[in-house]
Amino acid sequence: MFIGHHKAFQPWSRIERTSILTPPRPPTLSSSRPPYRFKIRMNALARRAAGLLLGTLCLPMTVWAADPQPTHEYTLDNGLKLVVREDHRAPVVVSQIWYKVGSSYETPGQTGLSHALEHMMFKGSEKAGPGEASLILRDLGAEENAFTSDDYTAYYQVLARDRLSVAFELEADRMAHLKLPADEFSREIEVIKEERRLRTDDKPGAKAYERFKAMAYPASGYHTPTIGWMADLDRMKVEELRHWYESWYVPNNATLVVVGDVQPDEVKALAERFFGAIPRRAVPPAKQPLELPEPGERRITVHVKTQLPSLLYGFNVPSLTTATDPRSVNALRLISAILDGGYSARISSRLERGSEVVSGASSSYDAFTRGDSLFMISASPNTQKKKTLADVEAGIWGLLNELKTKPPTSEELERVRAQVISGLVYERDSITSQASTIGELETIGLSWKQIDNELSDLQSVTPTDIQLAARTYFTRERLSVAHVLPEEKAHE
Amino acid sequence: MSKRTLLGLLITGALIAQPLLADEAPAPAAPEATTAAPAAPAVKAERGSNLVSLKELDSKAPARRSLNIQTWNTAEGAKVLFVEAHELPMFDLRLTFAAGSSQDQNAPGIAVLTNAMLNEGVKGKDVGAIAAGFEGLGAEFGNGAYRDMAVASLRSLSAVDKREPALKLFEEVTGKPTFPADSLARIKNQLLTGFEYQKQNPGSLAGKELFSKLYGNHPYGHPSEGTEKSIPPITLAQLKAFHAKAYAAGNVVIALVGDLSRDEAQAIAAQVSGALPKGPAMAKLAEPGTPAFGESHIEFPSKQTHLMLAQLGIERNDPDYPALNMGNSILGGGGFGSRLMTEVREKRGLTYGVSSGFTAMQVAGPFMIGLQTRAEMSENTLKLVQDIIRDFLANGPTQKEVDDVKRELTGSFPLTAASNSAIVGQLGAIGFYNLPLTYLEDYMAAAQNVTVEQVKAAMSKHLSADKMVIVTVGPTVEQKPLPAPTDKPVRQPAGVPEH
Repeated sequence: MFIGHHKAFQPWSRIERTSILTPPRPPTLSSSRPPYRFKIRMNALARRAAGLLLGTLCLPMTVWAADPQPTHEYTLDNGLKLVVREDHRAPVVVSQIWYKVGSSYETPGQTGLSHALEHMMFKGSEKAGPGEASLILRDLGAEENAFTSDDYTAYYQVLARDRLSVAFELEADRMAHLKLPADEFSREIEVIKEERRLRTDDKPGAKAYERFKAMAYPASGYHTPTIGWMADLDRMKVEELRHWYESWYVPNNATLVVVGDVQPDEVKALAERFFGAIPRRAVPPAKQPLELPEPGERRITVHVKTQLPSLLYGFNVPSLTTATDPRSVNALRLISAILDGGYSARISSRLERGSEVVSGASSSYDAFTRGDSLFMISASPNTQKKKTLADVEAGIWGLLNELKTKPPTSEELERVRAQVISGLVYERDSITSQASTIGELETIGLSWKQIDNELSDLQSVTPTDIQLAARTYFTRERLSVAHVLPEEKAHE
Repeated sequence: MSKRTLLGLLITGALIAQPLLADEAPAPAAPEATTAAPAAPAVKAERGSNLVSLKELDSKAPARRSLNIQTWNTAEGAKVLFVEAHELPMFDLRLTFAAGSSQDQNAPGIAVLTNAMLNEGVKGKDVGAIAAGFEGLGAEFGNGAYRDMAVASLRSLSAVDKREPALKLFEEVTGKPTFPADSLARIKNQLLTGFEYQKQNPGSLAGKELFSKLYGNHPYGHPSEGTEKSIPPITLAQLKAFHAKAYAAGNVVIALVGDLSRDEAQAIAAQVSGALPKGPAMAKLAEPGTPAFGESHIEFPSKQTHLMLAQLGIERNDPDYPALNMGNSILGGGGFGSRLMTEVREKRGLTYGVSSGFTAMQVAGPFMIGLQTRAEMSENTLKLVQDIIRDFLANGPTQKEVDDVKRELTGSFPLTAASNSAIVGQLGAIGFYNLPLTYLEDYMAAAQNVTVEQVKAAMSKHLSADKMVIVTVGPTVEQKPLPAPTDKPVRQPAGVPEH
């Protein structure tokens, strides 16, 4: 058990993973392919973006960074986007393909399609029978997996560099020629229901968050749980999956990202060889998930099988892709770091240690979504000290109101800046996180080059912008609240 | 990342597995080996025969980044392992102490509490100032205590103006913590809160019960984080005494990877070691006794029933380790293609995940199988799992299964040294368990020579299907028969259109 430095008692692990500056923890469920994950990728990117703004002083790159890694971008004739980043530290490579489809594209009655299709992508295509591709890759010593979120579905392989062609051939084959056998589906949908029971229905925190999210996004597809509602899993048909597959799995709706010990020209040739012949096809119009700016205060009380109460706060806010004023979004990212960018940040130092009003709390803001976003805060009252949910709410509002009236200290800004700078370097220790940052940016509709552009954007944010963002967004009209209570209280 | 390479887990397995065991993971931390087509009926063509890329691969083993592991002892007796890696301007430092909960003695939780208190106070700095110190330098301090070991780690930029103050603070935190009383009270409260959360987690309940049944009063038997009864009475004096003894320089392994010269590494190790209390290594633990096998059930109002099966496994230096890991890979080592995954998930849709694994520890660690299924299937699923184990132990693996694991091992070798964080984990494990510096290479060689008969013999020597400790957590509901398995060949004939 990690305590102290790590935040050990957060029931909202999914939210925590999106938290700026909080390193994602590996999923505890490592016993099988976890095809269903939330956005755990943005930490490094968020970190980088937040920090760059801080200061007027911008260190020259050479002070802290290694030589920049050459990154190359191509678009094949059929519309497939290819981004290759060279990293020659070890003779390995990661290949990821990102499709622009996820649960926010789904309609009522058809929730869970993207994720179920992701499962079925392992069940056979023209060149490989059900499960065979996984076995081929295992024989080669590769790691492989897939994940689905609101905005994307992605598949990856990590393997010795000279075996990249096998990953490409298998990935291309299932992009073009997926079988979707009905009998395989009938068993796999049972696996997916088990996954839902394991990860949502029997996990009080996850279950409460699912309900909360459905309320907090009244207008957009983000209210849909990625794994799908159980009623929709019960009536899902393989024909619906085939339609979903044919609609979205085309080269012009995908980004192929390769990071590792490779030569870009060779990767491009390989991509053309295996993906080049797959025909382009029009995809359905994909509307950005837009929210009501001020939906009004919403409250929900969820009774779950928990021993302890907890609280969720979410403010409807824009993201980098929807904001008309990107400075306000960048100010929100900085606010999230000031609140929860480490053990010395305000939530830890004031609520967890100072007033001891919470036993655990976190804030998070994912600015990297293709639609409008939420600024989230979650907390558990310190019941050992007899603190209540009302005490917690008062504590949270104390922090939010202070942001509206007082500029952050220069020490706070300097700490965030230092974390951003080092985070940029640390991220490069993993080829997988480099690839994921590129893939996610491309998939939500930004360019991977955004990283470079952000520097100047963020530097223009001022302490006044931070106060303005706090005043604009931390209002009751934008707020959803969930009180998560033990079940026995329901009978009182 | 959920999937680790087989080799990566072999070496870092203990480091990775222990947090999960100590924490709340219901299943063993998936020693992610994988293998081959199990007894799949009617495999018509050779796997991958339709792929042109596969035919073009040459058969030679892929290269791995070469690691030059340097080792020495500090003046105070700490063992150091170091790999230079100048590609990125950063370094990772990891101290591994034999200071896990197996050293708790009559105060369960003391190891975890001591570890958690390291960064709560040093001379002139309270917890907030320490955190601000690391974070202001962009450095990351990490800590954790498990059953065998307690860890304190630092990741920092290698530039001198960042590195030196970060190391100075790290040195104080690990060597001279002040153990403030208010922090202890707060952390105790957090632990007690954590126990309440564990009560809502069937996997956590199952794990605790399993260790208790498996180890009884042995030091591995109690949860690392202690219990509601054991935590409140622990005193500051006890923590200080534990630190003085268990965080001694003679009881630590220092692993260091990154953008440092040998001289710089040597200076860092000397500085860190010199700041620790003086003292020898802790004595090795006693071997656990034989557990009473059989089934126990915890009633819990969940949708799924959690099933865990376990037996005592092996210690880290057991010579059967390569054969057992190979056997486990084939049986249920976490990936698709293992017999358990094929039979329980792929052919019957009964579970999202099922895995088995040996956690090799200082003395016999557990062999565990973990899975979850809808409650009405739990009894028959348990029987199915037991039948699969029984069959595997009686008949052993096929030649193809063994050959496939060997190929997988070879192929995954390059992935074991692909990042600084992977390397520092390996160094920590090599040092802590006193493995040779060539451990991974030796293991590769040994594994390539293992035969079908050796796998079968090793598995049946260490495991018995009828002597498992079994824990189930879930609701009592009427049971249903299992669905019929699919008998479809793993491969379908190519080119038959489905639509």
